[in-house]
Amino acid sequence: MVSMERSGLVFRFPEVHAEAVLGVNFQRTLRIPDDHREYPLPPGLGRFPLDHVDDHAGRVPERWLQHGGVLLPMYQAEAMWIAFEAREYPFAVKVAAGKVNAVTGGAWDRELHARPQDYVVTPRQPWLDGFAVKKGVIRQFVAMPLGRGYTAEEQLTGEAEHGGLQICVYPMKAAVYERLRRPRMHSINASMVDACCAEIRSEMGLAPGGLMRQEVYDDPHGLKAWETAASGRCFVHIVNSAEYERITGRKPPTKPPTAEAYTRAGLPWFSYYDENAQALDGAPSLAGLDSVAALGWKKGEQPLEDNGPVAPQKVVPLGPVQGKVREGEF
Amino acid sequence: MEFGEFIREAREKLREQDSRYSVRQVAQRVGVEPAYLSKIERGEQAPPSEATIRRLAEDLGQDADVLLAMAGKISADLKEVICRRPQLFAALIRDLREMPDHAILRVVREVRDGDW
Repeated sequence: MVSMERSGLVFRFPEVHAEAVLGVNFQRTLRIPDDHREYPLPPGLGRFPLDHVDDHAGRVPERWLQHGGVLLPMYQAEAMWIAFEAREYPFAVKVAAGKVNAVTGGAWDRELHARPQDYVVTPRQPWLDGFAVKKGVIRQFVAMPLGRGYTAEEQLTGEAEHGGLQICVYPMKAAVYERLRRPRMHSINASMVDACCAEIRSEMGLAPGGLMRQEVYDDPHGLKAWETAASGRCFVHIVNSAEYERITGRKPPTKPPTAEAYTRAGLPWFSYYDENAQALDGAPSLAGLDSVAALGWKKGEQPLEDNGPVAPQKVVPLGPVQGKVREGEF
Repeated sequence: MEFGEFIREAREKLREQDSRYSVRQVAQRVGVEPAYLSKIERGEQAPPSEATIRRLAEDLGQDADVLLAMAGKISADLKEVICRRPQLFAALIRDLREMPDHAILRVVREVRDGDW
């Protein structure tokens, strides 16, 4: 089952294992410059608020009600990353934007595939910041209105049909988990988602932004380890911030600082390295997409304000040993 | 297990791999005196405030609700929910007292999955 707790999604599979619980939340962050340079990981600036679409039935498009799920607000050209809060229990997680798989660039389906691997594995993968364009490099998730042609979905399919984020979670088979953890049972553990002429809408999709150094890790367990009969999925609708206020009656979070202001304030960026994990190759179809800035230049538009380069001075290394805390306050 | 003992075990486990999890550094990050944290771990001092327990939970990668429960506290947001409709929630919680986890989970509101 999927529930909402503290502005995050919780996927629980009590029928598989009592410890099969995965939290997924959506972090506000800086938009890194979209300028062909590769940047380290930006901080987390707190979670985007989530709402059940059912709670706003009269004020959201009928299609959203068909999809079910949740909605969250983003400003145009705002960035996000997805945090996976797994304790020890492993999960395979498929992530798509506009039903375009963020790891492979392929069309959405409900199966897990190994070649190429089209999912991430938690807790090995603590977060995902964007589309996997090449080995060790992603393009940041950046919100753009559906209908203007910038989103990965519109660039790959020519249509602005779905938008939002789609997430599907598969727990590890209980027997595989028990075998895996037996050698390290010595300690206790707490407890426990025709373009150019289309109507521009208040719904948002995710477009490829600037380049960031982040590895998407391989699956060390293999396809047979996953309980594919027990999956939980959620459609995360993205609405522009002005529309969010009309729908929910609540103000959206304030705009995040610019990368330049954040860096000038001497605040940290991050890097993450897991020496025991292998990084996947990026997806050629995703590598071929235009970034928001590049497509804006081709279209004679300037979709990104404050896109000047920055030079992060303070980069905090994180890893499985050092800890995975990337959330900060500004 | 007592609150202090649990905190110490969780911290020591992290310290095996990362020296930043010494009493001194954890205390510094959560904003208390090292001697105070040490006494809490030894059970010589009552558990700290809700805000401190939440910071400890974040620093040690633990669940805040679990730590609060071990400390005999109920989080402020839950108190607010109960106080808004005390009779209803008191009755609900008493009814759920003996129910197994899977039955309680049926009461939790699910994020509805639709057709997509």
